[in-house]
Amino acid sequence: MSDLFSTTILFAILIAALKMATPLLISALGELVAQRAGNWNMAVEGTMLTAAYAAYVVVVLTGSPALALGVAIAAGLVVAAVNGFLTVVLKLDQFVAGLALNLLASGITLFWFRAGLQGKGTPTFASLSPISEGPFAGLYPMTVFAFALAPLIWWFLERTRPGLELRCLGENPEALDLRGVNVRRGQMLALLFAGGMTGLAGGFLMLAFSDRFVPDFTGGRGWLVVVAIIAGNWRPGRVLAAVLFFAALEALAVQSRVGGSFLPEQLLLAMPYLLSLALMALFRSKSLEPAALGIPYRRR
Amino acid sequence: MKTMKLLEVYRLSKRFGRTVANDELTFDVLKGELHCLFGENGAGKSTLSACLTGFHKPDSGAIMLNGREVVFATPAAALDAGIGICRQHFSLVERFTVLENIVLGTEREHLRFDLATARARVAALCERLGLTIDPDAPVAMLAVGERQWVEILKALYHEVRLLILDEPTAVLTPAESARLFAIIDRLRGDGLAVILISHKLTEVMATDRITVLRRGRAVATVRPAEVTPVQLTALMMGEEPPPVPARTLRHKGEVVLEVEGISVPGPRHDFRLEGAPLAVRSGEILGLAGVAGNGQREFLDALTGLARPTQGTVRLCGEDMTSASPARWMAAGAGSIPEDRYAEAMIGEFSIAENVALGWHRTARLSRGPFLSRARMADFARDAIERFGVKQAGPKTQARALSGGNAQRVVAAREIARARHLLVANQPARGLDIGAVAFLYGEILRAAEAGAAVVLASEEAEDLLAVADRIAVFFKGRIMGVVDARTASLAEIGAMMAGRAA
Amino acid sequence: MRFVPRSETAPAWTAFCYGVALAVFFLLSALVVLSVGGSPGKAFAALFKGSLGTWNAVGGTLAKATPLILTGLSAAIAYRARIWSIGQEGQVVFGAVAGYGATLWFGLAGPFGIAVALLCGALGGAALGLVSGVLEARFRVNVIISTVLLNYCVGYLLLWLLQPGLWGEVGQTISYQQSAPVADSLFLPAIPGLSKVHLGGLVALVLTIAVGILIGRTRLGFEIRGFGLNPRAMVARGVNAGALILAVMAISGALSGLAGIGQVLGESHRLRPDALAGFGYTGIVVALIGRSSAVGTLIAALFFGALAAGGLTMKVMADIPSALVTAMQGIALISFLLAEIASLYQPVRPVRDGGAA
Repeated sequence: MSDLFSTTILFAILIAALKMATPLLISALGELVAQRAGNWNMAVEGTMLTAAYAAYVVVVLTGSPALALGVAIAAGLVVAAVNGFLTVVLKLDQFVAGLALNLLASGITLFWFRAGLQGKGTPTFASLSPISEGPFAGLYPMTVFAFALAPLIWWFLERTRPGLELRCLGENPEALDLRGVNVRRGQMLALLFAGGMTGLAGGFLMLAFSDRFVPDFTGGRGWLVVVAIIAGNWRPGRVLAAVLFFAALEALAVQSRVGGSFLPEQLLLAMPYLLSLALMALFRSKSLEPAALGIPYRRR
Repeated sequence: MKTMKLLEVYRLSKRFGRTVANDELTFDVLKGELHCLFGENGAGKSTLSACLTGFHKPDSGAIMLNGREVVFATPAAALDAGIGICRQHFSLVERFTVLENIVLGTEREHLRFDLATARARVAALCERLGLTIDPDAPVAMLAVGERQWVEILKALYHEVRLLILDEPTAVLTPAESARLFAIIDRLRGDGLAVILISHKLTEVMATDRITVLRRGRAVATVRPAEVTPVQLTALMMGEEPPPVPARTLRHKGEVVLEVEGISVPGPRHDFRLEGAPLAVRSGEILGLAGVAGNGQREFLDALTGLARPTQGTVRLCGEDMTSASPARWMAAGAGSIPEDRYAEAMIGEFSIAENVALGWHRTARLSRGPFLSRARMADFARDAIERFGVKQAGPKTQARALSGGNAQRVVAAREIARARHLLVANQPARGLDIGAVAFLYGEILRAAEAGAAVVLASEEAEDLLAVADRIAVFFKGRIMGVVDARTASLAEIGAMMAGRAA
Repeated sequence: MRFVPRSETAPAWTAFCYGVALAVFFLLSALVVLSVGGSPGKAFAALFKGSLGTWNAVGGTLAKATPLILTGLSAAIAYRARIWSIGQEGQVVFGAVAGYGATLWFGLAGPFGIAVALLCGALGGAALGLVSGVLEARFRVNVIISTVLLNYCVGYLLLWLLQPGLWGEVGQTISYQQSAPVADSLFLPAIPGLSKVHLGGLVALVLTIAVGILIGRTRLGFEIRGFGLNPRAMVARGVNAGALILAVMAISGALSGLAGIGQVLGESHRLRPDALAGFGYTGIVVALIGRSSAVGTLIAALFFGALAAGGLTMKVMADIPSALVTAMQGIALISFLLAEIASLYQPVRPVRDGGAA
């Protein structure tokens, strides 16, 4: 375990953590917007998985990572649109709709994977590589985007007119409705944004972390996104901190598998989940949960 | 002097499913007029307001502004046409500041608000109306009365020609109500027309014209000079009003409830009982006066087990109940009729039989071992329905199909049955038709006659003066004074409601 | 044609909605089959043959339905209380682990051993459920989050246990982990006549009736139903929310745990991750489609058991990956949710605007 703490190892962990934080952060910031607008949007895991698989198929069939990312975003938008239809238009329970979509996504992607939509078997592709030289060597441009997104989202929510209206959707949508603002459109847009961001995250996850798709590729990361938002008390800065925390844990787990440690590998892999539980239990600051979160809006 | 019709409503109809909310409504409002819409709950006033503000689309009929027909596709269109509304249930965002609430929905062509200009406009508006409100205060920190002013500021921030006020004085002290009407008069002088929805006869009789609604129809439009309050009430009900329940002579027995030095935390005001302990005897009715939100809720929660006082003691029949759970209170013979019947006392999807079983379901009365006896529940329900006059319903009727009055009868039946020693009622008459109100107060009086101590909170001080023995007036989490209801005056109580000590 | 909310539901319209949902279900599933160039006709024919075509197939259906009945009931009882536990998946595994561990530690054998193992499985599931229950009741940690996270933790626990040094069978590879088999005397006996169905099926049926009675006729069931519909009113009238949450999570966990150990003793006869996967999440779908009632859950479980049994035949006969069945579960859920929504509305012909100035 002691060799875990040499400078080169720590630096490698940092780089790995930044890389792992990237998809989580992008997805979490998008999801934050959806939740601040009042929708739980529980389909994050399914959206991410679908987008990852879509990216895989496209990159294997066309060889273009850029196109794959684009299709991944589109996949996220599609799932979000369906979720929006179910929860905003039909006013289905948001948890149930999200779970249903997660199930549907995992089922259909697995089915298409086994049926060979990507071609026979499991073709591989060249995964995205980071910047190779210069001061930013080892980093991905997407990471820079992810970290720039956080203050941008904060500024949007707290300092702009549409941001105020979006926050109002999550606190008291009736106030907006009475002022003549279209509540449904606002909620749909928020969901679509979240879907697009999670789609981008899923695509990046596929392209940068592996060279092929495997069943249950996202492995619960979508759920960690939701946990990060709750742990971050629905504030962009704290969500960023929570995401970095999870990413650091995961990087540590991977590094110790390579470097060797006395802790069983499975325990380290379970660490993010266990620690999330412990943290949520122990630290409950005054909840800033949006007041109308989870409540479908109906005109009285 | 030629007075122009600002608003004309012609044969407006609106139905929801099978219920007809507005039925061929016809009336008009003149420029600068203070026009009252008078009617019971369910008469169609809220639906009419919703149609006038573009919230709902009428099924048939016409709305005309200044002689030209208008159709509002969205609430935004109604706002643009100059129709503003302050609804009875506030639509404020608690987490936002006053200023944010006011500018919400405006400047839609901008990316960022011009807060400097907005601030100046709000300040000017406040000055014109004689209000002092901190624009940067979060609404969550404001008292209920102050929130009403914010709602009015919201409405007047736009250019309005017609302002609809739905029960604006429900949460105002008498002094604040007077101030509101003074402001309204000033605005009317500038040409603003005001539709006032109110059930308070003193206010209604001070308007220019009154349109009485009953079951969705406009039954009559009269001038206050042409009718007496009793005639008005009869028009509203369609029949002779029932006799006003009045205080009966009751033998007051032992002290049943004793509250001393308690402090109960609350979202805005902690309730604190200072000075001498408060005692309520068997057979006595203690009224709690004051605008809701001044500590009544916290005080009553301590009497039902929903809140635990951080200090002090609460005793029921000598037993220390300070940290008792709701189950213990019920077992000790205490019943509670809460403020919001559908949120706190009933389960809409359950039948009447299941609703009356709430709190009784673990007792031998309704259960046998671990099993609930459906037969006994049905019997209990039938008994309650008959004795409390729940109309057109049986044990299997779903609670949410009941009218407000009937639902409250079910709750009252259940709670009065267990109130051997103490009955707590929080705004029991709110939102009920006059028949139900009279019946309910009658039952409360009967419970007191049977020996229970009654603690009754109401925003209508007149009701308390008629029914209670003593009245405690609440203001900002304190009891300003306890007066004898037989000799106290409304002015006295109003002064205490506004903060003046007894 | 507009749709307005109904004041009360009409049975004929509701039946119509569910009928349409069934049709939509088949239509969408057919589209998925077509999307990979398969033949829906062959796929559905194979599904039917493999699930209901022969007596043997029916046995297979019942066998596949058995764990789903239990996990479905597990989810149903929680959802009646509006406790959105997603933990069935982990509770199945933990129950299997607890029961299997009991056979090792206590050296169980014979019918008595079966009973003890089943009991330990149920207790194990209950224990895991209680963890989430305590986290919710005492620490206000959202049940959905904690159960999902615990699912992943338990998954890792199982992998750890199946290492060669611990419970893992000698000679296995990383990608095919399993434990040593349980003693022969611990195998659940089969039902005479339906060779594929084991004792677990009978237990599941009995528990369906028990849960139905619990929810509909007991005081606890009354509190569960009321709490799900209006927790505030229930607490105000004396229900201890914390105790209720713990009770529900314990019962729910026990049912799923029983499913897990039932599968170990009745089907796989050893601990294997892939033999335990999926029942939990499918149980959730079963409960939701069955509207969280005992009878509805039973019917939905049988339906999904048929799908699962038929899926294998579909792989062989129509060369459609059996993963289609998972997709069909999601499609079925959405279709039935849409039906439930639709049954609350009624179509109205637009009212002609007759108003004239």
